[in-house]
Amino acid sequence: MLELCDVSKSYATPQGPLSVLAGISLRLPAGDSLALMGESGCGKSTLLHLAAGLDVPDSGRVILAGQALDTLSESRRSALRRHRLGLVFQAFHLVPSLSVSDNLRLQARLADREDSAWTDELLGRLGLIGMRDRYPEQLSGGQQQRLAIGRALAVRPDLLLADEPTGNLDERSADEVLTLLLALVADSGCALLMVTHSPRVAAPLNHCLRLSHGQLMEATP
Amino acid sequence: MSLAAYRTALLTLLSHYRRHPGQLVMLLVGLWVASALWSGVQAINASARDSYARAEALFSQQLDRIERRDGQPLRYEDFLTLRRDGAPVSPMVEGEVELADGTRLPVLGIDPLTLPEGGGLGAAQASETLLRFLRPPYRTRVAPETLATLSAEPGATPTLASGGTMPPLATDRTLPPELAVMDIAAAVVLLEASGPSHLVIAPEATLSLPDEWIRHSADNLTAPGQLTDSFHLNLTAMGLLALVVGLFIVHAALSLTLEQRLGLMRTLRALGLPGRPLVALLATELLILGLVGAMAGIASGVWLAQWLLPDVAASLQALYGERLGDELSLPWYYWAGGLTVTLGGLLTAGASSLWHAARLDILAMGRSQAWHGRFQRQLTGMAVAGGLLWLLAIGLGGWLHQLPPRAGLTLGFTMIAAALLGSALWLPPLLASLLAVLARTLRHRPLAQWAFADVNLQLPRLSVAMMALLIALSANLGVSSMVDGFRLTFLDWLDQRLVADLYLRPPADRYEAVADWLRERDGIDALLPTRDSETRLIDTPMQSTAQPVGLYGVTPHPRLRERWPLLDAISNDPWPAFQQGAVMINEQLALSSALSPGETLTLRTPQGPRAFQVAAVYADYGNPRGEVMLTTERLIERFQAPPGSIGLVLPPGRATDISALRDELSQHFGISRDSLIDQATLKQQSRTIFERTFAITRALNGLTLGVAGIALLTSLLAQAPQRRRQLAPLWAQGVSRRRLTGIGLCQLGGTALITACLAVPLGLALAWSLVAKINVAAFGWRLPLHVFPEHIATTLVLAVAVTLLAALLPAWRLWRLPPGHLLREFDAS
Ligand SMILES: Nc1ncnc2c1ncn2[C@@H]1O[C@H](COP(=O)(O)OP(=O)(O)OP(=O)(O)O)[C@@H](O)[C@H]1O
Ligand SMILES: [Mg+2]
Repeated sequence: MLELCDVSKSYATPQGPLSVLAGISLRLPAGDSLALMGESGCGKSTLLHLAAGLDVPDSGRVILAGQALDTLSESRRSALRRHRLGLVFQAFHLVPSLSVSDNLRLQARLADREDSAWTDELLGRLGLIGMRDRYPEQLSGGQQQRLAIGRALAVRPDLLLADEPTGNLDERSADEVLTLLLALVADSGCALLMVTHSPRVAAPLNHCLRLSHGQLMEATP
Repeated sequence: MSLAAYRTALLTLLSHYRRHPGQLVMLLVGLWVASALWSGVQAINASARDSYARAEALFSQQLDRIERRDGQPLRYEDFLTLRRDGAPVSPMVEGEVELADGTRLPVLGIDPLTLPEGGGLGAAQASETLLRFLRPPYRTRVAPETLATLSAEPGATPTLASGGTMPPLATDRTLPPELAVMDIAAAVVLLEASGPSHLVIAPEATLSLPDEWIRHSADNLTAPGQLTDSFHLNLTAMGLLALVVGLFIVHAALSLTLEQRLGLMRTLRALGLPGRPLVALLATELLILGLVGAMAGIASGVWLAQWLLPDVAASLQALYGERLGDELSLPWYYWAGGLTVTLGGLLTAGASSLWHAARLDILAMGRSQAWHGRFQRQLTGMAVAGGLLWLLAIGLGGWLHQLPPRAGLTLGFTMIAAALLGSALWLPPLLASLLAVLARTLRHRPLAQWAFADVNLQLPRLSVAMMALLIALSANLGVSSMVDGFRLTFLDWLDQRLVADLYLRPPADRYEAVADWLRERDGIDALLPTRDSETRLIDTPMQSTAQPVGLYGVTPHPRLRERWPLLDAISNDPWPAFQQGAVMINEQLALSSALSPGETLTLRTPQGPRAFQVAAVYADYGNPRGEVMLTTERLIERFQAPPGSIGLVLPPGRATDISALRDELSQHFGISRDSLIDQATLKQQSRTIFERTFAITRALNGLTLGVAGIALLTSLLAQAPQRRRQLAPLWAQGVSRRRLTGIGLCQLGGTALITACLAVPLGLALAWSLVAKINVAAFGWRLPLHVFPEHIATTLVLAVAVTLLAALLPAWRLWRLPPGHLLREFDAS
């Protein structure tokens, strides 16, 4: 489903280039799940952005759903993201001016794949059914987090990329959200790449990798 | 992507305005005011141009005009004699009828059969219509507007005050408003004329005229379009000013809404909306808003034009004798033009933001520094662009200096526009560096330092509104200095020119009799007859370049000599020379032909070219033409000028019964009572004309200042939420809301004051360009520059007042905000 081959990325900073990823490779088959751990600032979000085609690597290749991203045009890359990818951002990135239910359906609508039965089911399972007409700023942090997850799953993606989907939550809510996320992922059969700090969160996933000094290594949660 | 997907994306983008309606209002208001003032002015111009075009199509078609030198009416036999000699002349009669309800309607009687080919009326008529026109009961042809003013239907026969009726009305779109055209036979009866008032002839037709006739060539009767061009250019400049100020608002609003939607756009892009459709959607949004704003603007523009039109019509008639209808007549291209200009302006204002949004990569969209860093770079760009514009302005000024008078008006306005825009562009860098310096010097006072740093932070938003304010303020100062200076000069000049106490214009056939009778009458000190005529100034042997000039004959009575507004003369007392046969010329002529006292000019006279010495140059405001002044005697002798008006000097200190004089004139000579006008009335009339002429200028200026105020208000309202978010931490740290509100008002008032301080020299420079450059380019004469301290004070006060007024609403809202709200803003930040 997702393959990174020898990917490097560095940022230009006032102190010179900062190498974040130095020749990283990973493979995530369809339906599989992978946790990505590492210190704060080690480049986890960067890796996720590269995988989603939101950014381009300095060298190396990202292959998503069998297509090398660097060979695709910008609009093909967008289409790929729209139809096959679900993204849960570290900072949610909900649309403040859309209601909860419109936020949830946004990507599905953009991809012409709106399925009311499915979105209603999602709203119900995420516990947002009573607040479908509220706006994101009227939700608690955990509710916003759940909404962000719902938006990514509403499109029935083949791959879900989640950046610390429980990072803002206390332990109990984190467990709740995580259980829900895993259940939904299992039901829809999509692959999952999840960034997290917490070994507890990483444990239920099939694989776990640790990012450190620009290199990936196997890890046990 | 399907249409539904695009729709979702567009609605998502637009949903931003549900949370921030202030920004939508600001955008629409900017578009609305920009296009309202602009299209209002254009509506007036289009309407006026339409009437000029019709007037030109009617009369001149460049026809020459033949009259008797002595001004006596023509007899029908005269026409026949000329026709018998084979001259292709056509008779016309001109006059005015009074309708039963008291309105006066000019009447033109023509003979369509003898009108030269292509003479507008004769050729175009279908034979059926022509026959109806030629045969009793005849037809009165009028423009549709005139029909509306008369509130009559076609076929109606309006009743005259004298009891008679006009021939049945028929509409004719090609006619100018406020004119009735009919067959000469009908017109002569209606006007109780003894014969044609003049004859017309095609300019190419050669004709040897007996001495008692004078032929006025068509190009001497300058086409109305030319004379009024400068008037309309003036209006256009004012409209353009408002347009630019309005577009400033639009630009500010656009970059605000785009900046605040960067996060939203990033999310949409991350969810798979490609970049190009996103920009296309933003452009669609702009187009929708632009159409709404432009329609509202054009609708109010038409309303504004309707409101201003009576003033415009009155001043055009007073200045140039041009009649405009009271109704707007707007051709299709007016509507198209209004939309194009508004949408084009919107695109110009939005292009840079759109371009920037298109080029940002997805992740950078989320980082607002990427957008903010832009402002720092923009400041440098602004300083450079401002410098270039100033260079352009200086260059244009130099070029204008080389040009002869009555030329380069567009150039002059471009120069002013460049200077204004250049200064406006310098304002933000100037404010930024000033604030940085102030913030640094006040380091030991944390709140003050914060206040200055905070204004600097607001600058990207605020500076555009301040630029608009700067332009509006300096335009206001410049124009009001010009108008008030002109008023002073004009009133002085009026006092100098109106030397006699009473003025009378007797009919030509009774002129001598009236003059003799007045000379004998008791209670009149002196008669000052004036006459006028026209000829050509020959400055080269080639006749084709001979410039038409007016001739003016005066009687150099001591009263006149004492007061006449001389600007330059051969000696302290040029009047003896004048009496000996030298001439005086007006300033327009002196500037345009580079003549100065002591030099000679050659005029074409019925006896052939003749040279005259120039004894002096006099001020002649309001006259569009060059003019040569002689003694009335000499004007009669050399040019056989027709009788003009007579000035009556009354003995000082003795009350003369003017009413009795009027009665006697009417009894003895059948001259209507109102043909005798006293000086005070004339002055009052001139003053009214003056005020009316500048009424529009003032109205537009005031409106532009209003627009700048709206720019400020809307930009303050639009950024109020972020302001609160920035103020919340201070409040949380113990600065009271009252204090915060006070600081906010001081920040804005101070910024406005700095802006006003810049506006003052700029406004004075503008006033100088108007009186010394634009006036010369437009009218051929120069005005002295007057500086009015009270205007400068007004500018300063106005700036602060407008700004504080605009700041009041947001400040009041902050003041009234429950503390809990501020806390929420704090959380959100
Ligand atoms: N646009 C950028 N320009 C320069 N440096 C950047 C940029 N984005 C990220 N970095 C740097 O790259 C490194 C990796 O950032 P990244 O956001 O991928 O970390 P992360 O592993 O997701 O951290 P966290 O767990 O705190 O979210 C950090 O040191 C960060 O400072
Ligand atoms: Mg991260």
